[in-house]
Order: sequence, then C-alpha cells, then structure tokens
Amino acid sequence: MAALVRLSSVCRRGVKPLFYQSTLLARPLAVPHKYQEQPQLLTARIHSSQALYAGADSKAASLHWTAERVLSILLLAMGPVAYFSPGPVIDYSLAAALTLHGHWGIGQVLTDYVHGDAKIKLANAGLFLLSTVTFAGLCYFNYNDVGICKAVALLWSK
Amino acid sequence: MALLLRTFARQGVCLSKPQYSVLYRHAAPMGTTAKEEMNKFWAKNARLNRPMSPHITIYNWSVPMMMSITHRGTGVGLSGAISAFAVAALVLPGSYPHYLDLIHSLSIGPYLIGLAKFGIAFPVSYHTYNGIRHLYWDIGKGFKIPEVYRTGYTVIGLSIITSIAIAML
Repeated sequence: MAALVRLSSVCRRGVKPLFYQSTLLARPLAVPHKYQEQPQLLTARIHSSQALYAGADSKAASLHWTAERVLSILLLAMGPVAYFSPGPVIDYSLAAALTLHGHWGIGQVLTDYVHGDAKIKLANAGLFLLSTVTFAGLCYFNYNDVGICKAVALLWSK
Repeated sequence: MALLLRTFARQGVCLSKPQYSVLYRHAAPMGTTAKEEMNKFWAKNARLNRPMSPHITIYNWSVPMMMSITHRGTGVGLSGAISAFAVAALVLPGSYPHYLDLIHSLSIGPYLIGLAKFGIAFPVSYHTYNGIRHLYWDIGKGFKIPEVYRTGYTVIGLSIITSIAIAML
C-alpha cells in the first residue's frame, strides 16, 4: 500500500488523488518495486530532450550565491591579517576582495530595484565600469602610495 | 495526446514509468522561467502605468526590517566610499600623507575627530557583525523570531561597543 501511495505522489497527479486512495478503493498498479527509486527520470527525460530549455539545468545562480558567501568569509578573515601583519600581499588581496564583494553586493541591489531589460543592462554596465575603476584606483594606491593597511593606520594616528 | 495521457492517468497508470516516456518524448514544456515571468509582469505594469501599492509607507516597521535596510545602506555607503577613495587616488595629484597633513592642519577638536572616527567605524562594524548574522542564517540557523531578535540586538550592541572602542584608539 505504501508503494501505491508513494507512486502517486511521484506521478504528480496532485494531492487530491492521495486522499481518495484508500485500501478499499485502490486499483492495482502493476508496478515492480524497483521503479519507485527512479522518480527523477520524468524530469530528466523532458529537460534533456531538446535545447529548448537551455538554461534549465544551469547551476550558475546557485554557484554565484555560494561564491558570494565564500568571498564574505574570506574578507572576514582578511581583517585580522591586515591588522597583525600588514604589507603589500594583504593590501592587494583586500583591494580585490573589497571590490568584488562590493560589486556583487551592489549587483544584488540593482537586481532588486531595477526593472526592464534595457535598464538592467545599462545599470549593470555602469556598475562594471565603477568596479573596474575602483579596483584600478585601489591597485594604483597600493603601488604608488602607502597602501591600504598603512593608510588606515595613518588615518587613525590622527 | 493530452486526452490519451489523461485517460491513462485516470485509470491509475503511472506515467512516470520509463516505458511511458515515449508518449511525451517530443512534448515541449509549456512553462516559462521565473525570470521571464518577472520581466513580463514588470513590462505589463510599466506599459499600463499602474501605480504601486503603498508598502513601506503603511507597513509597521520592525527591528529586523530596520536592521536589514541598514545592512544594505551601510553596504552601499561603504562601497561608495571605497569607490570615491579609489577615484580620488587616481585623479588627485598629491600623495595620501600630503592630504592627511592638510586635514591635520585644519586643527579639528578631539571630540570632532572622535566623532568622525566613530562615523567611519560604525558602518564597518555594523555591516561586519550583521554580515556574520547573515552567514549564520545561510547555514540555516537562527530563523525563529525570538532568535532573530536576540541575534539582532547582539549585533547592534556589539557594533556600538566596537565602534566606540575603535574610535578611542
């Protein structure tokens, strides 16, 4: 009986059929038990058949989400490192991490508030330009001036 | 085809068995992606010039709401400040110590300097601590309402204490 109930939920005929299925009403489903372990076959068949659904299997968004969290943790770790052992390596790492974290963050803000294909494209292009200039500026500062860590230290020595 | 599938389903035939997939092998899925649906929705709204329902003007503000928008505000603000600094580094002729001396020579009182330091430290602290709170949520923990408030007040408290401590350095 459990076999019958589970197969119905897999067949996606909705919840109602489950309610009507009792041991008295059940029509025998001549299904060998091994088919219960292959529910994903339905989706796989349709989606992988044509290029119609080119983006359906894409994990891009999910991977982006994970990358954002990984970067956040990395940036958290850079704080103490910058304090206890300042230097060019951490300066450039901070420049990269801060710029990318900010770029992705503002990207999410734009996604939330900007609508319409053309406006989205324009806004993201502008953001990309800003982030590029920001990274360039920070690297220039690291190379030609005192560097990020030293700059913070000097600012606070006021 | 649809009639055939529906007849089978009604008779209790499980159509997800592999041998039945031949029936819908060439079926084109009729769904649209979430993104397409969203874009269609917004395009229609813009086209019909529909007014937006009042939301932030009528909904009662809560601590979690305020903390969330503050997290976003500090994030955008800090990002803007970093970008402004980077552009200044590229555009301005003098070196960083030169401009720092310029500010020193303005002889700003110690309290104003302390306030300025607090003004820099607080957004950084708050965004950092609330960021950790976000990561805590991302691993699936702390979603019960009392927990949300508890962690929220902790973030606010820690931010203020840390900012004051840093401003006094």
